[in-house]
Amino acid sequence: MSSFGPTSPSNRVRIVVATSVMLTFISYWRAAAIVLNDLASSAFYACGIAEQAVGKSAPWFIVAVMLFSFAVRAVYVESCSMFVRGGVYKVVKEALGGTLAKLSVSALMFDYILTGPISGVSAGQYIVGLVNETFVTADVHGWIPRAVHNIFHGTPHLNVNLTSVVIALAVTIYYWRENTKGIQESSEKALRVMQITTVMVIILMAWSVFTLLKAGYNPVPLPLPQNLHFSKESLGFLSHSFPEQDVAKMFGLLGILIAFGHSVLAMSGEESLAQVNRELAHPKLKNLKKAAIVIAIYSFVFTGLSALLSVMLIPDAVRVPVYKDNLISGLAMYMWGPLILRLIFRAFVVVVGFLILSGAVNTAIIGSNGVLNRVSEDGVLADWFRFPHRKYGTSSRIINMVVILQILTILASRGNVYVLGEAYAFGVIWSFTFNSLSMLVLRFKYKGDRGWKVPPNITIAGTEIPIGLFSVMLVLLSTALVNLATKSVATLAGVSFSVVFFVIFTVSEHVNRKKHALAKEHMKDHFQLLQRDTVDRGSLGIRPGNVLVPVRDYNTLNHLRWVLEHTDTREQDVVVMTARVSQFGTAAYGLSSEQVFSDYEHSEIFLLERYF
Amino acid sequence: MGLIIITVLVRILEAMLVVGTIGSIVVLVLSGIEDLKLLFGREEQNYS
Repeated sequence: MSSFGPTSPSNRVRIVVATSVMLTFISYWRAAAIVLNDLASSAFYACGIAEQAVGKSAPWFIVAVMLFSFAVRAVYVESCSMFVRGGVYKVVKEALGGTLAKLSVSALMFDYILTGPISGVSAGQYIVGLVNETFVTADVHGWIPRAVHNIFHGTPHLNVNLTSVVIALAVTIYYWRENTKGIQESSEKALRVMQITTVMVIILMAWSVFTLLKAGYNPVPLPLPQNLHFSKESLGFLSHSFPEQDVAKMFGLLGILIAFGHSVLAMSGEESLAQVNRELAHPKLKNLKKAAIVIAIYSFVFTGLSALLSVMLIPDAVRVPVYKDNLISGLAMYMWGPLILRLIFRAFVVVVGFLILSGAVNTAIIGSNGVLNRVSEDGVLADWFRFPHRKYGTSSRIINMVVILQILTILASRGNVYVLGEAYAFGVIWSFTFNSLSMLVLRFKYKGDRGWKVPPNITIAGTEIPIGLFSVMLVLLSTALVNLATKSVATLAGVSFSVVFFVIFTVSEHVNRKKHALAKEHMKDHFQLLQRDTVDRGSLGIRPGNVLVPVRDYNTLNHLRWVLEHTDTREQDVVVMTARVSQFGTAAYGLSSEQVFSDYEHSEIFLLERYF
Repeated sequence: MGLIIITVLVRILEAMLVVGTIGSIVVLVLSGIEDLKLLFGREEQNYS
C-alpha cells in the first residue's frame, strides 16, 4: 500500500511516503495453544464456581456449555472470515454503529480485566491448597518440628485467601513489568505450556478411568429442575422475590437457564480466537477452522470431562468444603493408588495450573492492551494513553491502567474465586451476545463475499434466513438477560464498569474529533491520499538515485531532518519509508485501507509534511 | 398483575432458550460434519 502527495503542481516539493506492513505468521497448532492458554485455564475453577451456585448437577451444565461453545466458535469463525483485525469491536461497529461498539468493547474490557484476577487468585488457591495439604501430611508423619508447631498453635497452615491474593498480585506485577518492557508471551511458550498440560490431561483421564473401574463412582444428578439447588447468592435479585429453592420448580426451564448462565464462564476465551486469527498462516480460513476444531475438542475433553469426573470421584463431604477452588487438585487426591503418587500428581497439577493460569494473566494484559490500542487508533481513546514509554516504546499508560484495575479487583475480591467468577461471566456473555447479534445484523446489512457462514441457512423468496446464527444468538441473549437478574454482583459491577469505560470512550472520541479536525483539514490542503496495490519506483515517478529514509516513529525524525538539510530536492528525491512491524497477521480476503492505514500513519504523514 | 408480567417474560425467555437450543444442536451437527470433512481432507467450501 502506498500513499503519496500530488505530483502535478510544479511549485511543490514532491513527497513520497511508502508504507507497508511486515507480517509474522504462526501455525494453527500454535494459534490453538494461545487460545487454549486462556480457554482451558477455566477448567481449573469453572466447575467449582458452578457447583456452589447450582448444586451437584453443575458438571452437566459445564458439559452443555462446552458443547454450545462449538456453536459459538462457528460464529467467531464467520466473523473472522469477514474481519481480520477487530474482534468484537470491529464486528459491532460495522453492524450496529459506534455507540454499541463502544458499549460492547466496554463489556469485553470487563472480561479482560477480570481474566487476570480470577486466573491469578485461582493459581494462588491451587498453590496454597497444596502447601497446606503437604503440611497436614507432614504433621501426620511427625515431620513438623515442635517449634514450628508452637508458632502456628497446631499444624502449620497458610491463610488460603490472603496468600492467594499475594500470589495473584505477584503474578500480575511480574507480567505488568514484562509487558511494559514489551516482552510478550510467545506462541512458542504457549505451545510448551499446552504440551505439558496435555500430558497432565492424559494422565488425569487415564487414571480417572482406572479409578472408576477400581473404586466406583458417585452418580451425577441429571440436569433437571428438581435436582437444582440454588444458593441465595446464585439467585441474585430474584432471591428477593422468590423463596430460594422454589424458582426452579416454579419455572422449570428458567431454572435450567439460570444454571446454564452460572456455568457460561467455562467458555471464556473464545474472543482470543479473533485475536490470533490475525497471526495465522495461509490459508488463513482453513487454518482458523482447524485451530477452532482443536480448541473445541480439547476444551470439551478437559473442562467438560474433568468437571464430571470431579463430582464422580471426590466425595460430597470434601468436594465443595475443601476443594471448591482447586477441584482438579481434589481429583488428583481421590485417584486410586498410593498416597505418595497422588501427592506427586497433585504437585504436577499445581505446576501446570500455575503455568496455564499465569499465562492467562499475561493474555489478559496483552488482550486488553491490544483492544484499547485498537480502539484508540480509531480515536475512541485519548492520544495521551498511547504515549510511548520513554525507554521501551510500549503503550505503558494503557498497560498501567489495565494493571491498576486488575490489582484493585484482586484486592476487592479478597481472594474469593466465586465472587470473581460471578462477575467474570458478565463480560464473557455480553461480549459473545454483542458479537452474535452483530453477525446476524451483518447477514442482512452486508451481502458481499464472506469466507464461511454458520450453517444452516435457508432461502425464502430470495431472502436468506440465517437459522444457525439466529439460534446461537437466541441462546446467548436469553442467558445474558437471565444473568442480569441472577448475578447481582456481576450486574452491578459490570454495568458500572461498562458505563465508566463507555463515558471515557465517548469523551475521548469527542476530544479527539475536535483535535484532529483542524489537522485533517490541513492534510487535505496539502495531501491527496491515493492507494496502490504495489509500491515501486516507476509507479510513483521517483527518479533514480533517490535517498531512502526509513522512519518508524513520528517522535524520532531527526535523521529525516538531517537528510532534508543535506539534500537538494530539485536534484534528488527523498523517499520516506515506514514499515509497521505487526505482531498480527494479514487478511486472506484483503484488508481495508482503514485497517492497514491507521490514525498512527495519518499522524506520521501530517508530521512529515511539517518537516518538508 | 406483576406476577403475570413476570410469567410472560419468563415464558419468552424459555421460548428463546428452547428454539435457540434446537437450532444450536443443528449448528453443532452440521459444523461437526464440516469439521470431519476438513480433518479428513474432503472439505467443500461453504462460501456465500
